Amino acid sequence: MRQVPALPIVGSFAERLLVDDLPDLQPAQRREVVAFIAHRVDSLPSFTRFGVLAIGTVFRMLVAVPGGWLGAKLLMKLPLPFVGEYPRLMRSLGFAYVWEHWPTTTPTGALA
Amino acid sequence: MSLDADILIIGSGAGGATTATVLAEAGLDVLIVEEGAWVEQGSVVPFSLDQMDQQYRSGGVTVALGMPSIAYTEGRCAGGGTEVNSGLYWRPPGELLERWRHDFRIADFDPDDLLSIADEVETAINVRTVPGPHSAPSEVLRSGAAALGWQHSEVPRWMTYPHGDDATKGERQSMTRTYLPRAMKAGARLVTGRRIDRLVIDGGRATEAIASLPDGSTERITFRHVFVCGGAIQSPALLQRSGVKGHIGRTLAVHPTVKLAARFADELNVPDDVPVHQVKEFAPHLSFGGSASNPGLVALSLLDQWPTFRRAVTDWPRMSVYYAAITSQGRGRVMSVPRMKDPIVTYRLTHADRELLRSGLARLALLMLEAGAEEVFPSFRGAPSVKNRRDVATMQHAFSATKATVMTVHLCSTVPMGEVAERCGADSFGRVHGYRNIHVNDASLLPTAPGVNPQASVMAFAIRNARHFVATGGSRA
Repeated sequence: MRQVPALPIVGSFAERLLVDDLPDLQPAQRREVVAFIAHRVDSLPSFTRFGVLAIGTVFRMLVAVPGGWLGAKLLMKLPLPFVGEYPRLMRSLGFAYVWEHWPTTTPTGALA
Repeated sequence: MSLDADILIIGSGAGGATTATVLAEAGLDVLIVEEGAWVEQGSVVPFSLDQMDQQYRSGGVTVALGMPSIAYTEGRCAGGGTEVNSGLYWRPPGELLERWRHDFRIADFDPDDLLSIADEVETAINVRTVPGPHSAPSEVLRSGAAALGWQHSEVPRWMTYPHGDDATKGERQSMTRTYLPRAMKAGARLVTGRRIDRLVIDGGRATEAIASLPDGSTERITFRHVFVCGGAIQSPALLQRSGVKGHIGRTLAVHPTVKLAARFADELNVPDDVPVHQVKEFAPHLSFGGSASNPGLVALSLLDQWPTFRRAVTDWPRMSVYYAAITSQGRGRVMSVPRMKDPIVTYRLTHADRELLRSGLARLALLMLEAGAEEVFPSFRGAPSVKNRRDVATMQHAFSATKATVMTVHLCSTVPMGEVAERCGADSFGRVHGYRNIHVNDASLLPTAPGVNPQASVMAFAIRNARHFVATGGSRA
């Protein structure tokens, strides 16, 4: 069965999250990190991937509407089963990539 | 395409490689099928994302669903988990073996015999302690435990040290360096890049395996006996996909861990190795050790409380990551779902597990302070940083397992061995109950989580069971 690529679903949310967490990360770096995140989501075990993309679709829709990022941030704070793990997964993959590839990155994402 | 062998071994890790060696050296026609690739040691940086891509299942991002979910990793390469783990070696405790024998009615099992096999394994894979000084992150565990009067020890590893006494320059004597070459020298064949989708079973007997290749084609493999050695997740999943009934995949046992990062005055980070000291004062319920701590992993350990911990990330050369591991009373499940390639894995921590994780993280933080840590950063949402004993109490109060990053690298007990029908998926030598020629010979067989690194137990049991198969003429069954 052909699988739906993750990038169109998780990309915009992952990018917005990185802008928020690491505002000084260069756009080219950010694109590289987002591509890595999507690649890893593509290789998740099938059921986990299905769940991640289902939750990711909700966050993607929120990010797409004006003011939706505030709604997404609110959703992230709610103690909902599994929902909170989605931004955590995006951050985990992103941070691991950033500091493994550019270990002198500052806490705001700038290259030292 | 098709392949044929007397003995098909699925998986080439600690269970599969040792099984293959025993059977091939006994003169049997052995074919090992491995889903991953053969990756030469040294061609990838240990604990890097590149290694996760090449040698881990799903890039190292696998999870047992629950509250909280527990992240786990599985090796997927020739040599399996032995290629990617820390190489720390713990014999199974004698009293635990006795308990397994009694509680699961493992027949013809003498713990002393198993420990004799462990002697052989230790020679074969060169289990030894570090020849020179320990790394600084390892010293932290030693000195912290010593200051508190807690039991601690250096854990030997399957290593050689060809570059003198440098503790950080060891070469892991994993399966691709030891048992797999031995098996192949004895005539075993190894094919990689093939995933066994299912076994074809007819009348209580498996007749062939259907494998899929990366190009989408399939391959049929015929055999007289099959040893399923894909690890505690993949082995039960394959059996379930093949329609095998019985106690399969219902009692996943793991060692859940929680982590913290500790910052010291001086640089100590070793990006590509792990500490060899462990603290066993509260064993078997609770153990402390050190994790891989490259900059990416240090950043990961801070992300649960990023707004307040982010300031520390540039200090990674002065930081190292440590864990508290528990012997959990909880259990999980592995469930194959029709039309889904991968199984669903779940795990449920008990209340006692959660409290043990709480006290474990607090004690670990205390140990770090005693070892001279300037500041400790626990990995859970809402965590305060810890600079003194009062902060430890605050942190302990704030901890909740559902807010924590819980992980494990030890997975076992999904096809427990023994003669208690309602608890065991396989008999006392790993043959699946109710099936004449299907055997399991990996971590799935361990009746419970052993409380120590399970790979020594896996190898010893695999060799025991394979020898029994040879001695009883199992191949003629």
